Amino acid sequence: MDDLYLDNIDEFVNDQNKIVTYKWLSLTLGVHVNTAKQMLYHYLQQKRNESSGTPLHATYLVSGKCVENGSTYHKVSVVREDKLDAVKAKMDVTISVHVYSVQRAELKDSSPLYSTDYDAVKENLKNCNKYSAIRCAAAVPLSSSELQRAQEKALVPPVEKEISKPGFNENTSATSKPSAKQPAGIMGMFASKNASKSQESSKEVKTEQKEDFSLVREQSKVSKALKVESKDTRNKTKRPEVVDSDDEKMLSQQKKRRRIKKPQPDSSDEEVVPDSPPVPNVHTPSPKKQVKREPVSHQEVSITNIMTEKGYVSESYSESEEEPESNSQAKDSSSLKHQKKTSAAKKPTKQPSIMGFFQKK
Amino acid sequence: MIFYKRDAPLFIKGCCIYFGCFSMATLTRQDLNFGQVVADILCEFLEVAIHLILYVREIYPSGIFQKRKKYNVPVQMSCHPELNQYIQDTLHCVKPLIQKNEAEKVVMVIMDKEHHPVERFVFEISQPPLLSISSETLLSHVEQLLRAMILKISVCDAVLDNNPPGCTFTLLVHTREAATRNMEKVQVIKDFPWIVADEQEVHMEEAKLIPLKTMTSDILKMQLYVEERTQKN
Repeated sequence: MDDLYLDNIDEFVNDQNKIVTYKWLSLTLGVHVNTAKQMLYHYLQQKRNESSGTPLHATYLVSGKCVENGSTYHKVSVVREDKLDAVKAKMDVTISVHVYSVQRAELKDSSPLYSTDYDAVKENLKNCNKYSAIRCAAAVPLSSSELQRAQEKALVPPVEKEISKPGFNENTSATSKPSAKQPAGIMGMFASKNASKSQESSKEVKTEQKEDFSLVREQSKVSKALKVESKDTRNKTKRPEVVDSDDEKMLSQQKKRRRIKKPQPDSSDEEVVPDSPPVPNVHTPSPKKQVKREPVSHQEVSITNIMTEKGYVSESYSESEEEPESNSQAKDSSSLKHQKKTSAAKKPTKQPSIMGFFQKK
Repeated sequence: MIFYKRDAPLFIKGCCIYFGCFSMATLTRQDLNFGQVVADILCEFLEVAIHLILYVREIYPSGIFQKRKKYNVPVQMSCHPELNQYIQDTLHCVKPLIQKNEAEKVVMVIMDKEHHPVERFVFEISQPPLLSISSETLLSHVEQLLRAMILKISVCDAVLDNNPPGCTFTLLVHTREAATRNMEKVQVIKDFPWIVADEQEVHMEEAKLIPLKTMTSDILKMQLYVEERTQKN
């Protein structure tokens, strides 16, 4: 390939002061991600050899195996260049290292890296995997009939699967692999603009009431063994404290490592929500509901390797819960419905069916 | 998507509902809510931006900052209660000005130990005259633009020199015309008086102008640039 790309990258980095990640570059220039990685590497080499002009900073993605507390972990980190050698030394086996991003500014944290990719991926949502190195034959968009069925299904049971994690995603490769499997469920949501719009609006109302850290929602699709009930939105008090302390712990333990939430193209926060009832104002949920968080280890089989991952599962329970929580198949639900359901469940006389509750309105 | 932790001040929660309602309504400027909506969005953004500037320019040690989510991306916000309170109170007073389109600029001045400004982050705001907005594109478009502004603040290190240690900051509002007369009448928050800014804080000698980002949308136009003192130390 000709060297025009070097000029392009130069323009992005130096003139526009952008952060050029390999993913952003691949989507912008329309090249395979591996090509983008090589482009960035060559650009860095060239600029460093010139030893003139503005200093460049780079981040690298390192993945390898390391042993901690007796068990072997496959670790994937995004690290700054100055920490690269230290991180590599810590790993038993370094499996891969490649340039993650190039920028002029020395980044203090990983948030801008995520931001950079976010919009690029969002714009190319339908074909964000086009240049990806990860492939899954089963990942095809839903047909419209399947989509309709999924939407109806989502309306019914209000159990919500969610794995809430502290801000860092432990394992970026784990998320990028399941992403190939999920599109079947989530890409279908984008079949019609109207559908996604209403989901988005209902989603905003919903997430206003929910906690953050639901960024890694896609994990729930993959680990079906894990079932989580929706949490009470009013009991926010418990969750932030727990999560923040975990955040701190992780931060202190993993000073040298940088975790990145890879922007999951098919499961960014807008799509997961199904159509919710048109009333956005939800009245008091059951006061008996409490939020419990417990660390859960679960196995996740990905395409190339098996890894253990610690996730945080939030579980809410209510003493007066009558309906069995057996809806592990339900992928999408909204907490609004769950609250309505549990407040209905408090009626002592009969066990109301879900559809019966809706019909009463 | 747009939420803070539970300590969030009321106006932010109010704005979340606006974002939820956008897709259902076409707002006109005559709408009572319109000015309020813009003010809410803008004050939310300014709060995030101010915290981020404090983080990126290392005005305060990074230990007091915590990652939170805004506009679907992680941002750094401080946990220090008094600092947060100061910023919130300031923006709370600025909001009525924005509502009436009387605020021309909101400036975050970073000063060294001798209280001479070293950097001024200027947010120039204008609200274009508009009869009505189509709500469909509004929501995600504005969010995208604000996200881009946040991203630009994150990398502003590359174009600015380092600040001397021990810097502090202050917030100034430039109002149009005689809005300040009304400010004295309406002290929105007690014990939080506004005073006319000193000349030395408003004007900076030997200033370099570094543009950071401009955004244009139907409801809001904003320009962010930095005035930097040539000799910082």
